Amino acid sequence: MKDYSVDDTDKLDSSVQNNPAPQQQQQHEGDGLHRLLVPDARDLPLIPPSAVESNFVSYFAPDFIKPGHDQYVYRHANGLCVIGLAPTHVAFKDSGGITAVDFNVGRSDRSVLKVTGKRKKNAQQFEPNTALCKVCTNDDSYIVRCCVKGSLLEVNDRLIKLPGLLNSSADREGYVAIIMPKPADWLKAKGLLLGLEEYKKLRDC
Amino acid sequence: MANDTKAVHVSMEPEVAHNISATVEGQDISVYDDVRALHDVVQGLPSHVMKDLLSIGVCARCIFRLFGIRGNIYSCSFLSSSMLSSVLGEQRHADEDMVDIGSEEHKNPISLPASEVSEVDAVLCTLCLGILQFTYCDDKELVVKKSAKDMAVAISELLRREWHQIDSFSLEVSIPPIVLENESSVWLYMKRKYGSELCFQGKLLSQRISTVEALILCLAKPLETLLDCKSGASDIRICLTFTHSKALKMVHSVAVSKHGCKRTKTGIENCIDSIDDSVVGDIECSDLAGVTIQRSFGGSQDNGSSQSLKFPPEKVEACHLVFLCYRNPIFFGGRYLKYSRNVSQTRWIIDDERKGEASVEEIVGGIILPMCQGDNYKFHAAGREDIDVRMLGSGRPFLVEIQNARHIPSEAFVKEIETKINNLENKLVEVKNLKAVGSQGWDLMREGEAEKQKQYAALVWISRPLKDEDLESIASFKDMKVLQRTPIRVLHRRSPLEREKIIHWMKIEKIAGSNHYFLLHLCTQAGTYIKEFVHGDLGRTHPSVGSLLGCRAEILQLDVTDVKMDCF
Repeated sequence: MKDYSVDDTDKLDSSVQNNPAPQQQQQHEGDGLHRLLVPDARDLPLIPPSAVESNFVSYFAPDFIKPGHDQYVYRHANGLCVIGLAPTHVAFKDSGGITAVDFNVGRSDRSVLKVTGKRKKNAQQFEPNTALCKVCTNDDSYIVRCCVKGSLLEVNDRLIKLPGLLNSSADREGYVAIIMPKPADWLKAKGLLLGLEEYKKLRDC
Repeated sequence: MANDTKAVHVSMEPEVAHNISATVEGQDISVYDDVRALHDVVQGLPSHVMKDLLSIGVCARCIFRLFGIRGNIYSCSFLSSSMLSSVLGEQRHADEDMVDIGSEEHKNPISLPASEVSEVDAVLCTLCLGILQFTYCDDKELVVKKSAKDMAVAISELLRREWHQIDSFSLEVSIPPIVLENESSVWLYMKRKYGSELCFQGKLLSQRISTVEALILCLAKPLETLLDCKSGASDIRICLTFTHSKALKMVHSVAVSKHGCKRTKTGIENCIDSIDDSVVGDIECSDLAGVTIQRSFGGSQDNGSSQSLKFPPEKVEACHLVFLCYRNPIFFGGRYLKYSRNVSQTRWIIDDERKGEASVEEIVGGIILPMCQGDNYKFHAAGREDIDVRMLGSGRPFLVEIQNARHIPSEAFVKEIETKINNLENKLVEVKNLKAVGSQGWDLMREGEAEKQKQYAALVWISRPLKDEDLESIASFKDMKVLQRTPIRVLHRRSPLEREKIIHWMKIEKIAGSNHYFLLHLCTQAGTYIKEFVHGDLGRTHPSVGSLLGCRAEILQLDVTDVKMDCF
């Protein structure tokens, strides 16, 4: 389901056109309402697009700073960017997968930031190569970086207790951070990123 | 300028004197009564003070109101300074028992005004700047001199042009602060000079009739006659706003009198309504009294403040007057349903492009407004839903406010409005229970809006087949708490917070022909983000439908099925 989408597929709503005439009885109203609510199963897609697919445009940064460090940037229509590990990130190749996540990198612990208010005061300004966190496997550790210049709004602190989220759903619940770039900074960053198709081709997946 | 007014004065007198004598001869008793009333008032007041005030340019009405005189005297049409002078002159002669004037006048102590008296003052009052002389600057920057009656006629003509249904009106006047300054200056002058005299003992400035009240006394009755209705508290407001180019340069100290601000029924003033002798300063407690004395008389200490604060001023400018007539807004309440997933609640335009094909606000307001012949409308609703979410069931309470309605619809007409909206061709929106409501409609809507529960039906897909146990487990949760971080889709404009919300109950309804899709009926606390509760918003809403069922969940459609509120 799209956020604030302009609905061009009317299929699911064919029942809307036959608006039932206003009824007096509660029961009739209930029936009328019910008829509006229940869709025809034949109109439903087998697998619907996910919330991420519907609301974000996916971009990829392959080999970001270091080879094998593939990251994704999901950009929402409102300009916010969700940063995370792409499925081809080298960390996933280590046996046992990711075992720990540490946000205490660079000059501060990213998991203790406090951004407040509509204007997002106190948000730290990060450069594309600023470190967000360190992910560790049994063999090695890898730095995850911003990819886009902007204000850091939030890090996924659930990863501290549940690093396994990166192994099971790095593309959803395992996201790393949310960045808010200025429009000009986004345009600059976008030029260096790959779209979904390009990325798939590059990585043969 | 002075020359011009003198010329006018000269040319007017014979005509005016002729008119007055003509009406008396024509058996117009009221003029005679007015003359008598004037004499009565004058007799009760210290004549030397009145003459002094006349000499510093204070007009007759201002003099009377400073002494706290009430009654119909203000509306006397010939109450000019020269008239007052003349009456004072006669009275003095009567008192001193001198026969200076012609024998005719001596015989009849209550006499007609002498020939050099004019009805209209040639010179602007130094206190009220012409306001109580019905002299003002119109929007063409021309100085207009009228009588109370003429002014009332002008106002009623303005009203008649647009307003056809007038059964009452409220007259409101706003005057520039400099008039109050002048009042204070004159009062202090009087106190200084005559304070020790008997006539002044125990008198307070606060006992005076305000300029606003005096003007209303002059205009209310003629307007009532012309408009054939009563004046008082009313939805139709006539606002006379006087402004003056000389802004008050000194610090405004907010003086609060014992009457406070209760004068809204009869008038509103630009600033403080009445000034007590003991000025209670608020912000910068500039001693209003002290400063005025320094500046007005002798001017030995020039504080570098503007010339406008000298009293009496060398040159008096008329005030600028703006008439405004408007009606208090009228309200319509009801409930709306939204059948389309492409219609926003309110007008939504970004970069000159409209989002969606229409809005509830424009559909409903756009029909009510012309039927009331109003100027514009405002749409208010108890909560809102996304553009792609339908509003079904009993509908959502809303309020439409119409500004300056020229036509108040009857109950039958309101029904007509409702039918018209519901019979629109595209059937995007439906309205129920539409009716005119008073301003209490606001309170009805806002009351407990945050506590009200909302009911929804969501079309949900899950990544694994639905099991019967799922229906039971989902139904078992009552008043379940969820923690929602500000959804990513609104995070750019809302504070990043974690909000706890309550899901009161949930029920799964299977959909024939599918074991991955189902209808989720749920009832939640106001302010819960339903879409995020279903798909989890990358884990930022917890628990979510997905986490409760142990799989991935997506939402395809959302409908609001009930807004549980008592109003409309």
